Amino acid sequence: MKILVAVKRVVDYNVKVRPKSDGTDVDIANAKMSINPFCEIAVEEAVRLKEKGVATEVVAVSLGTKQSQEQIRTAMALGADRGILVETDTELQPLGVAKCLNAIIAKESPDLVIMGKQSIDGDNNQTGQMLGALSNMPQGTFASEVAVEDGTVNVTREIDGGLQTVKLNLPAIVTTDLRLNEPRYASLPNIMKAKKKPLDTTTPDELGVDVAPRVQTLKVEPPAERSAGIKVADVAELVEKLKNEAKVI
Amino acid sequence: MPSTPNSEFITAPSDQRRQQVAEQLRAFIDADKVRIDEESLQGHGCDWTKLYKVNPLAIVFPKSVEQVQQLVRFACDEKIALVPSGGRTGLSGGAVASQGEIVVSFDYMNQMSDFNAVDRTVVCQPGVITQQLQDFAEEQGLYYPVDFASAGSSQIAGNIATNAGGIKVIKYGMTRDWVAGMKVVTGTGELIDLNKNLLKNNTGYDLRHLFAGSEGTLGLIVEATMRLTQPPKDLSVLVLGVSEMSAIMEILRAFQNRMPLTAFEFFSESGCKLTTAHGLQRPFESETPFYVLIEYENQSEQDAETAMEVFEYCMEQGWVLDGVISQSESQAENLWALRENLGECCAPFTPYKNDISVTTSQVPGFLEDIDAVVSQAYPDFTLVWWGHIGDGNLHLNILKPEDMAKEEFFEKCQAVNKQVFEIVENYQGSISAEHGVGLVKRDYIQYTRSDADVALMQGIKAVFDPDNIMNPGKIFNS
Ligand SMILES: Cc1cc2nc3c(=O)[nH]c(=O)nc-3n(C[C@H](O)[C@H](O)[C@H](O)COP(=O)(O)OP(=O)(O)OC[C@H]3O[C@@H](n4cnc5c(N)ncnc54)[C@H](O)[C@@H]3O)c2cc1C
Repeated sequence: MKILVAVKRVVDYNVKVRPKSDGTDVDIANAKMSINPFCEIAVEEAVRLKEKGVATEVVAVSLGTKQSQEQIRTAMALGADRGILVETDTELQPLGVAKCLNAIIAKESPDLVIMGKQSIDGDNNQTGQMLGALSNMPQGTFASEVAVEDGTVNVTREIDGGLQTVKLNLPAIVTTDLRLNEPRYASLPNIMKAKKKPLDTTTPDELGVDVAPRVQTLKVEPPAERSAGIKVADVAELVEKLKNEAKVI
Repeated sequence: MPSTPNSEFITAPSDQRRQQVAEQLRAFIDADKVRIDEESLQGHGCDWTKLYKVNPLAIVFPKSVEQVQQLVRFACDEKIALVPSGGRTGLSGGAVASQGEIVVSFDYMNQMSDFNAVDRTVVCQPGVITQQLQDFAEEQGLYYPVDFASAGSSQIAGNIATNAGGIKVIKYGMTRDWVAGMKVVTGTGELIDLNKNLLKNNTGYDLRHLFAGSEGTLGLIVEATMRLTQPPKDLSVLVLGVSEMSAIMEILRAFQNRMPLTAFEFFSESGCKLTTAHGLQRPFESETPFYVLIEYENQSEQDAETAMEVFEYCMEQGWVLDGVISQSESQAENLWALRENLGECCAPFTPYKNDISVTTSQVPGFLEDIDAVVSQAYPDFTLVWWGHIGDGNLHLNILKPEDMAKEEFFEKCQAVNKQVFEIVENYQGSISAEHGVGLVKRDYIQYTRSDADVALMQGIKAVFDPDNIMNPGKIFNS
C-alpha cells in the first residue's frame, strides 16, 4: 500500500506574526518556518502505518518555494521514503493546492492520502475536502484514529459533541486532527539518511494546473487592542460594574 | 543539617512580642503590609530549601525606598536582624528566617520603568520577576538572557543577591554581567547609587560587584538597572544520547571548535525517567546513560550543516549513540523541558542537592572521582545528575527512598558531603557554583575559600553593616 502525505512549510507556531505596515499582508520575512503541525501528525501516522507493515511506501509532497525542500527532508527524516516538490513562487490557495495534489494522485495512484485538517497560517480547512471532490475519493476528516483493514479504512472523527467513525473504501483521503498521535522527533542519524533519499521537483505548469490566486486579500490589520483591566475594591463594586457598565447581569 | 540554628536554643518570638513589633512597624509601613499571621510567617519565612525551622518575627512588605530606609534604621535601633526575601526560590537557605528576624519582602516593589533604547537598559524595582523582565525585553525586540527553571518566580534582586547563573551562562555569563547599576540601602540605612549605569567607570572599587552574590548580607538592593541585548536568532536544540560521562567533554570540545553554542547541558538517564514519567516524550527510543542538550543559533544555512558534521564525527568516535534535533520552536521547548523540569520532578523525593563546579577542562576526572565516591556510599539510592556542564557546573541530586525518614536520609548524605567536598577542594573547585552559600553550605565554605579570604569578607560586611543586622549567619558566622 502506498501513502501520499502532504506537508506544508508555515510560519512556526510560536512566532507572533504582525501585519506589514502597509496592511497588505502579514510580515513573515526572517520569521522561523517549520512544518505545519497537522502535517507533522500526518507524516507520523503514515510512518506508523509503514512500521506496522500496513504501508509499503510513504511519499511526501510539498507545494511552495524551493525552501519547502526543508520540510520534505524533515518528513523523510521522520520516515517518508521519497519526496516530491511542486515548486512555485506564486501564493498558493486551497483550490490550487488541491488541483496539484489531484494531479500528483493521478501519477502516483496512492491507496491513502493523509494530510493536515488545516494549516496554521491560513486556517482554511478546505484543501482535503476540495481534493476529495476533485479526485472523487471518499474523505475522513478530523481524524483522531485511523485503522486500515482489507481495502477499507476506519476513520474516527472528532465532531461536535463526540466521536464518529466512518468506514471508507480505499483509495481515500484522511485529514488529521491534533489527537491522532504525538509525532516523534527527527533523529539525527535519520536526517543523515534522509539526505540520500530521492526528492523530485516538478511545477504546477508541468502538472497542467493553473494555481493563480482566486481570492484576493483586501487588507490585513491587527485585532483591536484589548483595553487594560481594572481592579475593583470589593464584590459590591464588581456587581455594580457588571450591571451598569458591562450590562451583563 | 549542621548549620541549622538549633530550635532548642532559639525560642520562637511570643505572640505578644510579634504584636508589639508589628505595632511599631505600622508607624511607617502600611498596616496590611506588616503581617504576623501564621500563614505569612511560614510562607514568607523560608525559601525553596524547606529544611529549616522557620521562625520570623514579622513579614514586612515595603512599598518605597524611603520605607526600606526607615525599616533598616528601626532594625538598627532595635537590634533586630533582617532577612531580605525575593521570590524564595533560593536553594541555599539564604532567605530563611529561623532566628526571629524580620523578613523584608519586595513583592510590592515590582515595577519597571525608564526603558532606554539607546543604552538598552531598563530600571527594575527589586521585586520584578525574572520572567517579567524577559517578557518586557521581548516586547522591545530585545532579550534578557539570564534564564533558569525558576525564572517565573525568582526576582531580580534575588538573582543579583545570588548572582544567579542558569542555562545560558556559556554564552551570556551570570547575572552580575547584566547589572548596569544599582541602588542599595546599607546596614546603616544609607542609600547609595552604585556605578550609575556606566559602561566604563574606573573610579576605584566597583562596589556593585560586591553586592552580586552578597546573599543579603551587605544591604538591601532597592533598585537595579538591567542591561538587555540582541535576541538570539533561530535557536535549534539537539539532544544527544551519550555512552559515558567522559565522552561529554569531548562532545563539548568538538562542537565548540566548530561553532558558538548558547547552551550545553547534561542529564542522566535517571533524570530522563523522571521527566518522561511526568508526560514528556523521550527524545528517542534507546536509553543511554547520559544525555547532552546543545543549543545553537542558526545564523545561516551553514550552521545546520556544521552541526550535522560535528554530530557525525561524534558518532564515529563512539561518544554519541543517538540524537534528535528540534524541527520547530515547540519541539525545542519540549526538548528543553527534559532538562528544565528535572528540578521540579525531583522535588517530591526531598532530594539532597549539590551544586559544585571546577574549571571545564577538569570536569572528566572530577566526575569520575565524585561518581566513584558517591556510588560506593549510596549503592541503593537513586542519583540524578544534571547540570550546566559547559560551565563546569554539576548538580548532583540524591533522591530519598520513600520508606526512609528524612532525618536518617540527610544524616547519611551528610556523611558523604565531606568526601565530595574534599574532592572539590583537591580540584580547586567550588562547593557552590551558582546557588550561593546561605545556611546550607555555610559550614563547608573553607573547602573553597581560605581563612584569610573569609576574614576579609567578614571585614567587608562589618563596613557595610556595622550592627550586623543584614542576614546574619548566612555565608559565614557573623
Ligand atoms: C527549579 C529551580 C531551578 C533553579 N535553577 C537555577 C539555575 O539554573 N541557576 C541558578 O543560579 N539558580 C537556580 N535556582 C536557584 C534560585 O532560583 C536562584 O538562586 C534565584 O536567583 C533566587 O532568586 P529569588 O528571588 O527566589 O531569591 P530568594 O530565594 O528569595 O533569595 C535569595 C537570596 O537573595 C537575598 N535577597 C533577595 N532579595 C534581596 C534584596 N532585595 N536585597 C538583598 N538581598 C536580597 C536573600 O536574602 C537570599 O539570600 C533554581 C531554583 C529552583 C527552585
